[in-house]
Amino acid sequence: MKEIIKNSNGKTKLSMIIMGAGQLAYGRIGKGLLFLLSEVSILYYFISRGIEDLKGFFTLGEQKGDAWLGIQGDNSVIMLLMGIFAWIVIAALVCLYRCNVKDAYHMQKLAQQGRPLPTFRQELSSLLDKKFYATVLVLPVVGVCIFNILPIVFMILIAFTNYGGDIVPPELVDWVGVQNFSKLLTLSQFAPTFFKILGWNLLWAVLSTTLNYFAGLGLALLLDKKCVKGKAFWRAFPVLAYAIPGFITLLAFKFMFSYGGPINQLITASGGTAIGFLDLDAKWSARIIGLLVNCWISVPSIMLLTTGILSNRDESLYEAARIDGASRWKQFQKLTLPFVLFSTMPVLIGQFTGNFNNFGIFYFLRGGLYLDGYFLASDTDLLINWLYNLSIDNNYYCIGAAISLVIFIITSIISLIVYVKSPSYREEDTFQ
Amino acid sequence: MKRKSALFMAVIMGISVLTGCGGDSGEKKDTSNTGQSANSVFTGELEENVTIRVLENDTAISKGYFDELINAFNEEYKDKGITAVDANMDQYLDLANDGPYGYGPDVLYQANDIIMQYADGKHIYPLPVESMECYEQIPETAWDAYKTEVDGNTYYCGVPVNVQAPMLYYRTDLLPADWETTWDDDGNKVPDMIENWNDMYAFSVARHGEDSSKYGYMKSLYDVYFSGGFLFSYGGYVFGDNNTNPKDIGFSKGEAEKGAWVLSQLASTMNEECIDDTITTNVYSKLADGTYFATISTPDVYSTFLDELTMEYEKEGLTTEEAKAKAQENLVMTTLPQLPESGDLTEENPTLIDTKSMGGVNGYAVSAYTKAPNASLAFVEFAADYEMQVKRSEMLGVAPAREDAAEEVGGVSELLYQNMEKGTIVLMPSIQEVSQIWTPAQTFFTDLAKDAFRSESEKKYPDMASMKAGLEDVDAQIYDAIFTLK
Repeated sequence: MKEIIKNSNGKTKLSMIIMGAGQLAYGRIGKGLLFLLSEVSILYYFISRGIEDLKGFFTLGEQKGDAWLGIQGDNSVIMLLMGIFAWIVIAALVCLYRCNVKDAYHMQKLAQQGRPLPTFRQELSSLLDKKFYATVLVLPVVGVCIFNILPIVFMILIAFTNYGGDIVPPELVDWVGVQNFSKLLTLSQFAPTFFKILGWNLLWAVLSTTLNYFAGLGLALLLDKKCVKGKAFWRAFPVLAYAIPGFITLLAFKFMFSYGGPINQLITASGGTAIGFLDLDAKWSARIIGLLVNCWISVPSIMLLTTGILSNRDESLYEAARIDGASRWKQFQKLTLPFVLFSTMPVLIGQFTGNFNNFGIFYFLRGGLYLDGYFLASDTDLLINWLYNLSIDNNYYCIGAAISLVIFIITSIISLIVYVKSPSYREEDTFQ
Repeated sequence: MKRKSALFMAVIMGISVLTGCGGDSGEKKDTSNTGQSANSVFTGELEENVTIRVLENDTAISKGYFDELINAFNEEYKDKGITAVDANMDQYLDLANDGPYGYGPDVLYQANDIIMQYADGKHIYPLPVESMECYEQIPETAWDAYKTEVDGNTYYCGVPVNVQAPMLYYRTDLLPADWETTWDDDGNKVPDMIENWNDMYAFSVARHGEDSSKYGYMKSLYDVYFSGGFLFSYGGYVFGDNNTNPKDIGFSKGEAEKGAWVLSQLASTMNEECIDDTITTNVYSKLADGTYFATISTPDVYSTFLDELTMEYEKEGLTTEEAKAKAQENLVMTTLPQLPESGDLTEENPTLIDTKSMGGVNGYAVSAYTKAPNASLAFVEFAADYEMQVKRSEMLGVAPAREDAAEEVGGVSELLYQNMEKGTIVLMPSIQEVSQIWTPAQTFFTDLAKDAFRSESEKKYPDMASMKAGLEDVDAQIYDAIFTLK
């Protein structure tokens, strides 16, 4: 850009002042008008509401609403959202402006070299040919900005406000800086529970991901065996478990392990004493049941995935291994596992993150308990469940957003390290 | 360039956020003390050709009462073009978050604690109740559940429709054949176990002793709504200052530990199913098949108990009419038995005190986001009138909050009405902090139930001192849940 500013001629400078003016001066009316129209539209947006939206982003409202008195008032949440949107529009304006200046400079260069300037028609046809990537990417990028970036930025910014508790519209929300994070760090009750839950959460994520993965792979290998008859039939069973909504499965398992459930009925009918598999004393049995139920829910997807991957195995490698005297375990260890791991590492990381943030399992199996030694949590709660108890139950959205950011940082660091160290990243060409 | 522009954007947003953007709430305009009347939206001029979305209770919908109500209302207001429809929304809606965006109902039927949480944020309108036909018929205690003070003015934000409080359900045909000689010491023709918890305890022990598959009184203890009353009977409470001060939490106050002891003794006559929600879900069928003799529940599920018992009698070979008549005769819903002052259920000739119960007053409110407040108010008035109240009670078995309707329906409705006036029904607090009481109290009651099945050496609550300490922990947890993040 520095070079452009330094070497630009009058027409390019014109584009720097008014978007599209340089293009118009070069006689490229269509393109010039499009740039001009974009600038005018964005300016119109800012004059009509964008400036107010930006102002609202900083103030988050000045007039409290009162439905009883018919005063509509400001809605801080909407103002924050529209403020973020205004920032996105500014970012779009900067990108467009940059394109406009670069384009004017490109035309200046062509003119200086005595080469013909592309006509509007040629530019348009290049968008369907050489620059087709730009054409197809426009809509997804706009979609990502509105449906991904905006909500994510919104959630992040909520962590810096006092939104929640008593402060929900029509009350006005305020910026509070890093106050929510300092609360998390300074509250004496939080730290012991946080580390206890974090430890269990990490163990849970590792165990459940490993268990699900190897159980799924094992099932896929088993059903891949030539000796197994009626493979499609057997594969249908796990798929059925997969097809049932997760929370229904969880409630069904909760019933099965309850005091009045079929398992305890069998135990008492055979003269035993009912066992509290999920009650408040059942720390490890509840955790193990959680792991197994999660396995029941997740194994089918891994099985289906690995079944597909296994069908692409190079059988000649196995034949060679067998000739060389490799045992079945060695074949699995040296051929099958690296091959499947390579293809599924991103899914595995996704599974790890999903399991780390697996809200439903213990919410449905054993929700509604605050146990001794935990601050508003139980010994099976994961960080996400604790986050729910602390924030959503109390409507403290700002604290929820702050804890979410902490969870996001933890999971993204672990995921990145695992991914960067995995063969999928380091040996990208191995199986290509 | 890329780095610089990204850096510029990040710096601008970062500075604005981290500096708190001057976040001086002093600049923000408050609307309090404007001196305007909050009731001014209710001009009496009905909005014509409007549709009112009504959020009703699921039971009222499934039992057909709601259809009757809206059909009658729509017929009445046909000439004005006002139509009431089912809002088709979840009972646990969030009016505070959904209302401003136009997703909430116009009229909502909820318990007083839920409605009054909305009143805090002015998400529902204060109603001109004094000019309503039902005003004189509903007792002050019921209106108080909907009373709020804003800027020194008193407002009523809902119209009480029915009273909810735990009731004792039992079956007369499961009483011992000779109960009049063995279980009616005072000879008043009312079984002793229905009159006091000591005899209920003794009967439960005896019934289970005779047949180990049968039980006397059965109830899941974790449910705060039902178990809380035992604490309140001995001086416990939810919040101080008449349930308005969340800083004063009172589950352990007074001699509430005696209530915990009563619960613990009752748990010892049940089985492990009282620890989780098993009894809550199977009580209808187990009372019907005679496994349980008695339980407590709310009046609105009377019809469910009756249906189950009718089906059971049909299985025994009776026709539907005969089965229904027999079920109506044998299934009794009455007020709770009295408690021993000492808390000891094995005490002979105890001094008895009234059992208090946690109750609620369900009612109608008008959303502050409705486009048709006057038509919505007309609906509320229509639904709260005498005829609809009697019909509601007859179809759903609920106790009307109106005196005339309660008298007309008689029986339990009248008893509940009297209990409310007497103060043995402790209304659920109407402040939003009430949402924090459930999990800590539920955990304690679950632990207490579990304790009945722990070995002597493992018991966490072997005496009243430990129960008191447990209840103090509950208070502390509730306090933490409310104030730690405030």
